Amino acid sequence: MSSNANPDRGIIGIFGYLDTFCRTIEQVRERTDFAGHELFSPTSYHEIEHACGFGASPVRFFTLIGALTGTCVGFGLPLLCDWDWPLIVGGKTSGVYSLPAYVVLGFECTILLGVLATVLGMLLLGRIPNPRRRVLDPRTTDDKFAIFLPGATMAGAQAQFLKQCGAEEVRST
Amino acid sequence: MSDDAKLWSKTISDVNPEILLNLEKPHPSFYAAFALAVLCLLFGIVLVGLHTTYGLGLWNFAPPVYWEVDITNFVFWVGIGHAGTLISAILFLFRAKWRNTVNRSAEAMTIFAVICAASFPLIHMGRMWVGAYWALPLPNTNNLWINFRSPLVWDVFAISTYFTTSLLFWYMGLVPDLASIRDRMTGFKRLVYGFMSFGWRGTAKQWWHYEAGYGFLAALATPLVLSVHSVVSWDFAMSLQPGWHTVIFPPYFVAGAILSGCAMVYSLLVPVRYMFKLEKFILPEHLDACLRLTLLTSTIVSYAYAIEFFVAWYSGNPYEWALFAKRAVGPYCFYFWVMTFCNCIFPMAFWSKKIRSSIPVSLVICILINVGMWFERYNIIVSSLVEDFVPARWGHVQPGLWEIGITVGSFGLFFTFYLIFCKFFPIVSLSEIKLIMPKPLSSKGKGGHGGHGGHSGQPAKGGAHHV
Repeated sequence: MSSNANPDRGIIGIFGYLDTFCRTIEQVRERTDFAGHELFSPTSYHEIEHACGFGASPVRFFTLIGALTGTCVGFGLPLLCDWDWPLIVGGKTSGVYSLPAYVVLGFECTILLGVLATVLGMLLLGRIPNPRRRVLDPRTTDDKFAIFLPGATMAGAQAQFLKQCGAEEVRST
Repeated sequence: MSDDAKLWSKTISDVNPEILLNLEKPHPSFYAAFALAVLCLLFGIVLVGLHTTYGLGLWNFAPPVYWEVDITNFVFWVGIGHAGTLISAILFLFRAKWRNTVNRSAEAMTIFAVICAASFPLIHMGRMWVGAYWALPLPNTNNLWINFRSPLVWDVFAISTYFTTSLLFWYMGLVPDLASIRDRMTGFKRLVYGFMSFGWRGTAKQWWHYEAGYGFLAALATPLVLSVHSVVSWDFAMSLQPGWHTVIFPPYFVAGAILSGCAMVYSLLVPVRYMFKLEKFILPEHLDACLRLTLLTSTIVSYAYAIEFFVAWYSGNPYEWALFAKRAVGPYCFYFWVMTFCNCIFPMAFWSKKIRSSIPVSLVICILINVGMWFERYNIIVSSLVEDFVPARWGHVQPGLWEIGITVGSFGLFFTFYLIFCKFFPIVSLSEIKLIMPKPLSSKGKGGHGGHGGHSGQPAKGGAHHV
């Protein structure tokens, strides 16, 4: 398949049952002629994640970096402002001597930047928004599961394999 | 047959077509409710417009009470929002299944409640466009930075973080559901929902990252929800005012917030469940779980009320004790006893399963709890403020028509947003409710040990072993 080919062209197998779908995923992973396949599910069944062999998502690194940055910002902002112009309140000195009062700001900014970075991670790693890709079968956001193989045709062995695995429907996209 | 299968009369194939009926023509009661909400909102807008033009003198307050109903409303609305985050984040981490049916509407409630709350400090500042500037960490005309040691500044950080987190948590939860709506639509509506769903396709990899991210959002929102009302309570507790300067305030405020929020979730769910025919999805068991949470938080709040009185007496501080005694038998005793009956006495009826099973009775009690929680905030704020350190200034204030009008307007704002949400977005999370319904297994998978349906042993998002 050339790099300019439509990424949505190929074959799709629709499955109605979660267990059949998971068994198919495990078999597909052992085959060499299913390279680049995509799996679709109406919701996040943990069984699919297991069948795919996914480990921990790298989203956690976004969260960690965002949260640590937030901690630095939360403590840094009042400290820098104090450094720029110390504000003596009630005869009490400011700066690092007021750190306990800045814990609230540090905490809130940790959460805020952690959340923003997590959402960024979810979007970037999930490759959304992506206007170039279209929905291959609307039932996959309703109650059906699907395996999509780009570049394959109905005449190929892959389509036959999906039918044997228990796909309710196999068609080209 | 599993417990899940016994509980549900529907399958996951029924979820999208039946829950999304709300996008079609709603029940006539929806239009009546919406018209009333918009009317209240317009009334509030007119009042805010007039007081922005003519100044704060129109309000009924007098020294030493400079903020009365507006700060009461601020605390009340922030509190309402808390149950949304509790249900969406904390119960998610606890894997409480029932939250999957109510979390979406509870999260929406949080966002609209925080919008209502945030509007009150701005309204109170009179010229709100100037007030917005002072609320941010920007230097003043003398190049002095704001005082970062002030709890009011902490509050700005807390509320803005809370709003942003709640909004993102809610919206990221909505993305797969918006894609489900998109795939049922044609033409312009499909384009709009496609845009709002970011082109979500539901691939296994998207779900993998989504699931992990959602968990982290929940983990971040959990300490946040406990901190926000604690910070709100410090607006009071950091002062030296008798009645406010107590260490019990943060947990007391958080428990009160969750009590009012749970009562509000119930008060909203019952009519929405009826209007949009969601009885087969929001089951009596889910409503019952919400009431049990309300009962739990009511007992915590009752304990906090008792401890406050005990410490006022036990501390030996005559000013503290005088104030508390006055709350119970003084000029503001009406507010105190309404608060006590609505928040401590009436919710005790929820110990009875028979009462929890009666939706009309439970609804009345939940509305009374909300009334009680408003009175609680008014009681705490005004009874302490009205008798400050200068006895010559002591007085008595009551909410006037302006204050009541703007409060009604805030309810109009809340319900207008909420009803718009109910009309255009899925009220129940489509992707999450599917997780607590029986899994679509083949006859082979249903027999034996459940095949892949049960091989992980771990619940997915929202999965759990108990209602």
